[in-house]
Amino acid sequence: MSKFISWIDERLPVSNFVKNHLSQYYAPKNFNIFYYFGALAIFIFILQIVTGIFLTINYKPDAAQAFASVEYIMRDVEWGWLVRYLHSTGASFFFIVIYLHMFRAMLYGSYKNPRELLWLFGMVIFVLLMAEAFMGYLLPWGQMSYWGAQVIISLFGAIPYVGESLALWIRGDYVISDATLNRFFAFHVIALPLLLFALIYLHLAALHTTGSNNPDGIEIKNNKDENGIPKDGIPFHPYYTVKDIFGLSVFLIIFMFVVFFIPELGGYFLEKDNFVPADPLKTPEHIVPVWYFTPFYAILRAIPDKLGGVLAMGAAIFVLFILPWLDRCSVKSFRYRSTTYKTLLALFVISFIGLGYIGMNPVTPVLTWLGRLFTFIYFGFFVALYITSANEKTKDIPDRVTMHD
Amino acid sequence: MKKLKISLTGSPCMIKQLFFFIVIISSNLLFAADGTTLKPVLIDLNNKASLQRGAQIYINNCFGCHTLKYQRYVKFVDHLSLPKETIENNLIFTTDKNGEKTKIGSLMLNAVHPTSSKEAFGVMPPDLTLIARSRGPEWLYTFLISFYKDESRPYGVNNTLYPNVNMPHVLWWMEGVKQPINNEKTDFEYVINGSMSDKEYKKSITDLVNFLTYVSEPAQLDRYRIGFWVILFLLLFSFIAFLLKSEYWKDVK
Repeated sequence: MSKFISWIDERLPVSNFVKNHLSQYYAPKNFNIFYYFGALAIFIFILQIVTGIFLTINYKPDAAQAFASVEYIMRDVEWGWLVRYLHSTGASFFFIVIYLHMFRAMLYGSYKNPRELLWLFGMVIFVLLMAEAFMGYLLPWGQMSYWGAQVIISLFGAIPYVGESLALWIRGDYVISDATLNRFFAFHVIALPLLLFALIYLHLAALHTTGSNNPDGIEIKNNKDENGIPKDGIPFHPYYTVKDIFGLSVFLIIFMFVVFFIPELGGYFLEKDNFVPADPLKTPEHIVPVWYFTPFYAILRAIPDKLGGVLAMGAAIFVLFILPWLDRCSVKSFRYRSTTYKTLLALFVISFIGLGYIGMNPVTPVLTWLGRLFTFIYFGFFVALYITSANEKTKDIPDRVTMHD
Repeated sequence: MKKLKISLTGSPCMIKQLFFFIVIISSNLLFAADGTTLKPVLIDLNNKASLQRGAQIYINNCFGCHTLKYQRYVKFVDHLSLPKETIENNLIFTTDKNGEKTKIGSLMLNAVHPTSSKEAFGVMPPDLTLIARSRGPEWLYTFLISFYKDESRPYGVNNTLYPNVNMPHVLWWMEGVKQPINNEKTDFEYVINGSMSDKEYKKSITDLVNFLTYVSEPAQLDRYRIGFWVILFLLLFSFIAFLLKSEYWKDVK
């Protein structure tokens, strides 16, 4: 065996790779529950790729056949229903996991120096993931697939001068049609997954260059022993591999519960109207995007002007990109930051969840004003953060990481 | 033959019973259908007799206009415990494009031509394979017990849940025809009696809705049963994974 490994190593540095990235890659020992979500996101990415391959075997990207082919998968393909539910539930859980992963970065300041690039790669992944999910949602060719896509693509029409031509160019037709379905299929199954793969690689490469942040927000690399090993670091393998296996198994209990018992999740994961085939002549009463888009959709609706709404929605995502430069406080973890910051972050979380709720519900005067209030708080968070973080009154940071088990 | 082993009432395993009870109750509480006018209906996909009666009502009364175009006849052999001969003799009445009797493996289409149904009803009667998923069982149940006499409509009937629906009260011969006795249309009296009592009719509609709920997602017969074992396995696996993690981590201070 060792002969075989050395034969390989002379030709490809496998052992070195394992050493550098697993067995001698040192991660802070004080990770808490928020640090499971990165590994879980990779798991779901692989799950989506694998189940996606099996779905494409029987799916037909053709406006006349798409809906029926999904039902064929659900009924006549052996285990097809399971593959489809794993994929549809996986899409929603991908966003749950990614939102928690991003929230973790905000709690512990993981986007700050020296990890700005890591955060930027992550943000690009987030945007690609939204595009991936949006295009995937068209494929079952149900009423919500169709009208959801119709509404979102028509938003491009709000852009001055080029808007209408741009929307036409994206659709490949004057309405969502077979041409749109075909190109969305191409983007969903190959173009975007390839880009995602590349970005995830860069995200991980950047992570392994700087090393992980941790709940105390202190750099373990600044405190090394005589062998050059961080005193607060432990080898990723076996410590975090066994811990992540445990985290994954608990995650799977929740995930599989949804897959097997409530795959529609009361219409939040699979919308009721999407069990009606797309009908270009019949607009559904309420066109509601899937839950993971609703916070941004609520911001869009909060602005009374179409172009203004589109710009606000774009700004809501863009502002996250520049977060590392808006937050001027040198202390990373919220544990050692001011009450002002903690209050702002709490308000931000409330506004994000509130916007998500509003985006799911039909427009009422109360919800519209609440939506405007939450939109104000959402953007207010970044403005207030920029102002208050420059001279923030922070607590003393410990020299070594703290364990809270 | 696949047999569904779980049942809320007949399972020998207490833990399983409790588990499904919690699942079903909690999902109903969390995601109850919106709209307070909908009447509850007890769906029990383990009740084969009910599914069979529902299939019978559907084929005899609904199938002439409403296809089940994603469902295949042959699935009833396993899912409804119906013998192949029974299906061929009593459920299949159509012919294929060569004029031969429709094969048991075929999708459940009917003989109605789109043009003629448009002429008769103004719209093409929708396919109902997925109606229980898009509308929900409670909606279907309420819809089918909400027809009342209204001479102003083309078919002489209207519906309180779906006003001015373009559908005749096909099951009038079972239910009879009722007429509102107040303006709010909450109380009714029967002006024509059907072949069934009110209770019998509601039971038949429950069977029909039960059948349509099954047709909308036959995988339900498998997924609850398999899901139970998947969750049980994952609970055990998590426990072992926890022990493994604790063993490795006991020295990390």
